Amino acid sequence: MSKSVEEMQALRFRVFAFFLDWASWGYIAYGIMYLLNSYWYTNIHYYGRLSVPTWGWPIVILGTLELAAISHAFGHSIGLSMFGLRLVTDSFTPPSLGKRWQRYLAWHVAVLSFPVAIWFSTQKSRLLHDRLTGTRMVLVKQYKDEIPILPPRAWYKTNRGEMSVVLIGVTLWVGALVTQIDLHTMISRVSTSSYLWKELLSPHFTHFITPDPALQQSIVSGMIETIFMALLATAVGAAFALPLSFLGARNIMGFSPLGWVVFTVVRGVFNVVRSIQPLLWGTVFAVWVGFGMFAGVMALGFHTVAALGKLYSEQVEGIDPGPLEAIAATGARRWQVVLYGVVPQVIPSFLAFTLYRWDINVRMATVIALVGGGGLGRIMFYYQSRVGLLPDAWNQVGAVIMTIIVVVWVLDYISGRVREKII
Amino acid sequence: MADQLVVEHLTKIYERGDILALDDISFSVVKGEFLVVIGLSGSGKSTLLRCINRLIEPTQGKVYFDGVDVTAASGGELRRLRRKMGMIYQQFNLVKRSSVLTNVLAGRLGYVNPWMSAVHRFPREDIEMGLKNLERVGISDQAYTRADNLSGGQQQRVGIARALMQEPELLMADEPVSALDPATSHSVMKYLEQMNQEDGVTVITSLHFLSLARRYGTRILALKDGKIVFEGLPSEIDEARFKEIYGEEAEHVEVR
Ligand SMILES: Nc1ncnc2c1ncn2[C@@H]1O[C@H](COP(=O)(O)OP(=O)(O)O)[C@@H](O)[C@H]1O
Ligand SMILES: [Mg+2]
Repeated sequence: MSKSVEEMQALRFRVFAFFLDWASWGYIAYGIMYLLNSYWYTNIHYYGRLSVPTWGWPIVILGTLELAAISHAFGHSIGLSMFGLRLVTDSFTPPSLGKRWQRYLAWHVAVLSFPVAIWFSTQKSRLLHDRLTGTRMVLVKQYKDEIPILPPRAWYKTNRGEMSVVLIGVTLWVGALVTQIDLHTMISRVSTSSYLWKELLSPHFTHFITPDPALQQSIVSGMIETIFMALLATAVGAAFALPLSFLGARNIMGFSPLGWVVFTVVRGVFNVVRSIQPLLWGTVFAVWVGFGMFAGVMALGFHTVAALGKLYSEQVEGIDPGPLEAIAATGARRWQVVLYGVVPQVIPSFLAFTLYRWDINVRMATVIALVGGGGLGRIMFYYQSRVGLLPDAWNQVGAVIMTIIVVVWVLDYISGRVREKII
Repeated sequence: MADQLVVEHLTKIYERGDILALDDISFSVVKGEFLVVIGLSGSGKSTLLRCINRLIEPTQGKVYFDGVDVTAASGGELRRLRRKMGMIYQQFNLVKRSSVLTNVLAGRLGYVNPWMSAVHRFPREDIEMGLKNLERVGISDQAYTRADNLSGGQQQRVGIARALMQEPELLMADEPVSALDPATSHSVMKYLEQMNQEDGVTVITSLHFLSLARRYGTRILALKDGKIVFEGLPSEIDEARFKEIYGEEAEHVEVR
């Protein structure tokens, strides 16, 4: 890279680093205001709100700006370390404290006189406060040979370490207030909920085999339904994901512009469909094909196509390209290259992912019952809705939960063993 | 005799990194030759071989094979041209999880009925041919083992058998013995020599060691930074030429 390109890059990174630090201080300031506000209305005046007067905002903005400038002049801030910048003297040694003060003050001069400063820096390719104080902010990677390697300091002694602790602390504290985490209630009401635990843990298997007359179904038949629902969703999902995954693999489709378009579209669709919960898809399909098991299978299957498709595609992208090259060189067609070069390489991981997905689908099938699907989920939500009406409703719920745990555990065990065998 | 392969002004620029890997390369190869391409790593040997059958798309220049313009061919025509050019590789490039025989049969994919290949069915003659070629390279007893259970030398022989299935007129080998020990190297090179002398297949191979090039080549082409720096008989490479090709600090290394 030429000198001027390097200098432009360094300058750009300095600007990024500065704004990043400014933003972090702003974030901390905002977090502290939130905490103060919340303290105010819980402890001082319930209906009051601590508002910042209009003249307060410029103070906050200028204050954080100063803090960012200070952290650039006196330490190794998050922004500086993230972009690999370092403040050094002209002889590439760390500047003394006095120099750092000078630089901090000179920075104000440069900012306040910025038209002059810009003119100056275009003349001399260094910013005004750099020149005034004989210091420079450099990209470490551009001056590897000149900059001495300092022994690393413990993270909690570095500027960015301390700053990170404050950032994380403020975030967690504000987060706890926002989500209304309340340990006190949780602990004080343990005894109130203990009856629930007792009943859940002494399950009543009265309808394990004999159907419940109200439901017209036994737990066993619900279990079979759930397993089949998951199995079908997995099978259908895998059948569609298999061919699509090749279309969604960069190394297979990257051969032409059209291939890129297909790749981008397929992967995009995978990501969108995958990021929408099966429960939501259940709602969509319940409207489409009617409330019931079919809607449940469709929802699970749809989500499975996308989830498996993404996993499969990534496997295809991770294969050894050597055999593909060799098979293409024999004069084979593209699809023959895929069939003979790619498929044998990905079969084991495809199978492993598919089995794993079956496992996931069994667990999801129980939740899908909320909007459609039958099986164990339907039975569980039924008993749960009878709490207060049936004397042993929680015990019945307990029985269903136990069954789910056993089914998931057995499937997990089987798929684990099969995976061991084929890889 | 007419030239079998003609390369004219071949240039390859890798867009990623803006690297000039081949710089205006021209040469031709007569049928039955054993041409060895030498040069330091990074000199462009692999790129050159792959531009000939267009595994890599050349940026500029022409390649003619038996008078047909390979660089202008597309689709079916390119596949028919590739069929006649066998290739073996430094890393063998076998499908590790497939059986040896399946790997060898892949060499027929350019010939067989595509529908049958879709269900992994190969004609009886092809299977017999595969077994015969495995016998020829001395590993017929391994036909049904998984390719990754074989040693490096055996895997390279599977690679040769796969190339033989193409009934090639030209065999290209990209550093075929660089991953092998000296003894195995010679046994693999001997198979190439045999194909060249008994079947009359033209061979173009890149090699790392000058001693191997001298021992097997009928002609040598030396690359440096993507340019041809020497073209001639093995015996013509003296100390000065050697230093020119491999650099001042290079020492002779013998592979026995
Ligand atoms: N796919 C690629 N993308 C970018 N540069 C490459 C690629 N393949 C090879 N090169 C570069 O091209 C030059 C020639 O490489 P190569 O043909 O592999 O040489 P050789 O086989 O003689 O070692 C090298 O500088 C290498 O880094
Ligand atoms: Mg190479």
